[in-house]
Amino acid sequence: MHDAPRPVPFRGGGFRPQRLRGVGVAVFVVLILLIEWGTRAGWISSLTLPRPSDVVATLVQLWKSGLFFQHVTPSLTRLAVGSAMGVLAGVAVGVMIGLFSLARAGLVPLVAALFPIPKIALLPLFVIWFGIDEGSKYALIALGTFTPTVVATFGAVDNVDRTLVRMGQSFGLRWWSIVRKIVLPGALPGILSGLRISLSIGIILLVAAEMLGAQYGIGAYILEAGSLYDLERLFAGVVILSSLGVLVSWLIAQLEKRLLIWRS
Amino acid sequence: MAHPTILGAGMDLKIEQLSHSYDTVNVLSDISLQVPSGQIMCVVGPSGCGKSTLLRMIGGLERPSAGQVLQSGDVPPDCLNPLTFVFQDFALLPWRSVAGNIELVLEDHPLDGAARAARVADVLARTNLSDFAKALPRQLSGGMKQRVAIARAMAVHPAVMLMDEPLSALDAQTRELLIDDLVGLWMRAPFTAVYVTHNLAEAVRLGHQIVVLSRRPGRVREVMHLSTPLDQRSMADPGLQAAQERLWALMRDEALAADKELAHA
Amino acid sequence: MNQVSRRHAMGLLAGAATLPVLGAPALAANSKITVGALAFTSHAASFVAFERGYFAEAGLDVEFKFFQAAQPMAVAIASGDADYAVTAISGGLISLAEKGATKVIGGALSEEKGIDGQKILVSDAAFKAGVTTPKALDGKAWGVTQAGSSFHYMGAKIAAAEGISLKYTPLQKTGAVIGALKSGQIDGWSIVPHIAKPLAKSGAVHIIGDVADYIPNYQVTTVFTSAANAANERAKTQAFLAAFSKGADDFNAALVDKTTSADEAEAMVKLIHKYVYTDREYEKAKPSIVNGAMRINKGAALNMSSVNDQLSWFKSEGLVKDSISMDMLVDGSYVSTT
Repeated sequence: MHDAPRPVPFRGGGFRPQRLRGVGVAVFVVLILLIEWGTRAGWISSLTLPRPSDVVATLVQLWKSGLFFQHVTPSLTRLAVGSAMGVLAGVAVGVMIGLFSLARAGLVPLVAALFPIPKIALLPLFVIWFGIDEGSKYALIALGTFTPTVVATFGAVDNVDRTLVRMGQSFGLRWWSIVRKIVLPGALPGILSGLRISLSIGIILLVAAEMLGAQYGIGAYILEAGSLYDLERLFAGVVILSSLGVLVSWLIAQLEKRLLIWRS
Repeated sequence: MAHPTILGAGMDLKIEQLSHSYDTVNVLSDISLQVPSGQIMCVVGPSGCGKSTLLRMIGGLERPSAGQVLQSGDVPPDCLNPLTFVFQDFALLPWRSVAGNIELVLEDHPLDGAARAARVADVLARTNLSDFAKALPRQLSGGMKQRVAIARAMAVHPAVMLMDEPLSALDAQTRELLIDDLVGLWMRAPFTAVYVTHNLAEAVRLGHQIVVLSRRPGRVREVMHLSTPLDQRSMADPGLQAAQERLWALMRDEALAADKELAHA
Repeated sequence: MNQVSRRHAMGLLAGAATLPVLGAPALAANSKITVGALAFTSHAASFVAFERGYFAEAGLDVEFKFFQAAQPMAVAIASGDADYAVTAISGGLISLAEKGATKVIGGALSEEKGIDGQKILVSDAAFKAGVTTPKALDGKAWGVTQAGSSFHYMGAKIAAAEGISLKYTPLQKTGAVIGALKSGQIDGWSIVPHIAKPLAKSGAVHIIGDVADYIPNYQVTTVFTSAANAANERAKTQAFLAAFSKGADDFNAALVDKTTSADEAEAMVKLIHKYVYTDREYEKAKPSIVNGAMRINKGAALNMSSVNDQLSWFKSEGLVKDSISMDMLVDGSYVSTT
């Protein structure tokens, strides 16, 4: 009655993400071709979506006319200055919260209260405080990047292996040496991954910041296109903005590669 | 003078009526011990008996509720950190190389660059790590990591090494190799150490005296003295076998009871 | 039972009251339509037509949808969320017309010599610094809601006439522009008189000129609808325009030409107060409503030359495509055009 011996069935597959190159690009290409076809054939009306080739033409035009840099340069400056202020202050406050019980008790509730405020709602207030020009834009982006950086930083400081700190203490290292050589490098991975979120929020807030009193800037360009119902320019602006997001993400990945080489 | 020190020359440790409790739980009760210089004292006991707590108190990382730890005698002149720990989980900075991890504990001291480099080179040579000076911890096996931690501890020329289950994270074969290493290091330059372990074989291989603690609250149940020179102790030695069996007999019931105890919330 | 029958009786009465009224082309059944509006006096014609039953007489069951700015209204017409709306010609409206979504079908608010029209305002700080005439605004910050809004057009026309240049500052909402002007963040702006006058009275801003001097016969707002309504729903569209015009006539008579009795004027202000300045008490709202009365074109007539001028300006600024023509923007078959 015994059956012939048969191989044990394999049941261990799946649940393991694999690197598939080019699929992401293919999805983009297929989607864009589909929209191109739809807008040309007419089953997507010009009111619904712009023709991708027209968007490309708009981008080329933008580049040739020199307006590209006229819009991108102020936006990049705002993003750089605003998020530099927000991130530096955020790391400083986050480290303080991580190290001092008094700072933790005093500042964590404050940060928790600041975090959920839609920063856009504060823009009119910032205009009064910091002026309608660059000041209010920097302030908006700075505040927007500040809170997530604080939360990421003090979480990262909390997660620094305490045995490393004890080791430092057991060797009689000075307090500042422990912070500089053990706590900060140990918190760096957490701070950098917080930076991804902070800078994405910074890019989102760029559009909001340029709502008030900006003649040039990617956000102003998108808002203008939206109010003119100019879909080609609207999408051209969106393409620039999401390229900016990809670029920032890539830069952080490079930074991680260099600084976190010690991670397995 | 190739090896500038005899580690631990001249410093004795005395533990006087030390007791400790966390909130309402008594962890250690009335411990009095003496660690003579140039000897290794092993502390064994069932899990949760407070042996690691005791070690942290000896090293000044925790404050006892009652009693005190006294140090007497001279600290060697070039000693940078009299009481130096070796941790179970190595506690190496993953972002620093092997040499960097050793330099870390020298950087806060007024040593010139050459003196610092000499110390690093010396301890790397003594632990056979010279070829790995530039490696990162993630590239090392567990045994190698602990060798680095030991080298780091020796770099400050400690008066007493406080070793907290240094071999527990390693597999059995690696542990054997490291025991041999420690014995070799001690034979070349005898050092003073308090060595906490739950592994009785380690205790009888390395201990000049072996302190058995009872389960919580930890008390000294017995202090066993072994006179066989460290380099002559082998696993096959009947004397050591007997000592180990005796230790196990002392501990067995305690270990059994400790095992059944509910974890303290 | 009693309650129901009473309500029934009231309904009958109301129905009877409308019976003898003739004139408006009656539709077969009550057509439900949505009318987009801003809570401004300039939209009064629609409110009057609704409150006095002119829409109902024309067989239109009207529901208002209120907006914060002109341009979103154009988008709502395009998306079918609103059927008819009255607002300034904006770049968005023209772009949507170019995509075949919207059509201008009539005129509403006009600048007219002799009637108080839109004012040119400057901030107190700018005024004190010597900006007392529009010419002195050279190089100053001019508030606009969005690029391509009517404020942008007015600023550009003033600048062109004076041979000066302005720095256009987009602030999205009229409220934000007012705030920025009061605090001196921007220097100049132009706005309808019922907003301009109270601001000037507070001393925070100063009136330095009239828009009508720069843009005579300016067709400030127009009536527009979706291209589909304009082409396929003639009866409904005519009915809407007829009722709207009746509302406009009542409004002009009571508050612009002031040919009616004081009681009628009072009644008109009260009617409008239901929609405009509802957050203020009547006595305080009344002057603002009276001040804000600008002529709404009789018969929703459309000033084509003004529309053409606006379209050319949008094109010349590159805000809309060059390819768009008046025919794409306007369906002139409904009202008289000049």
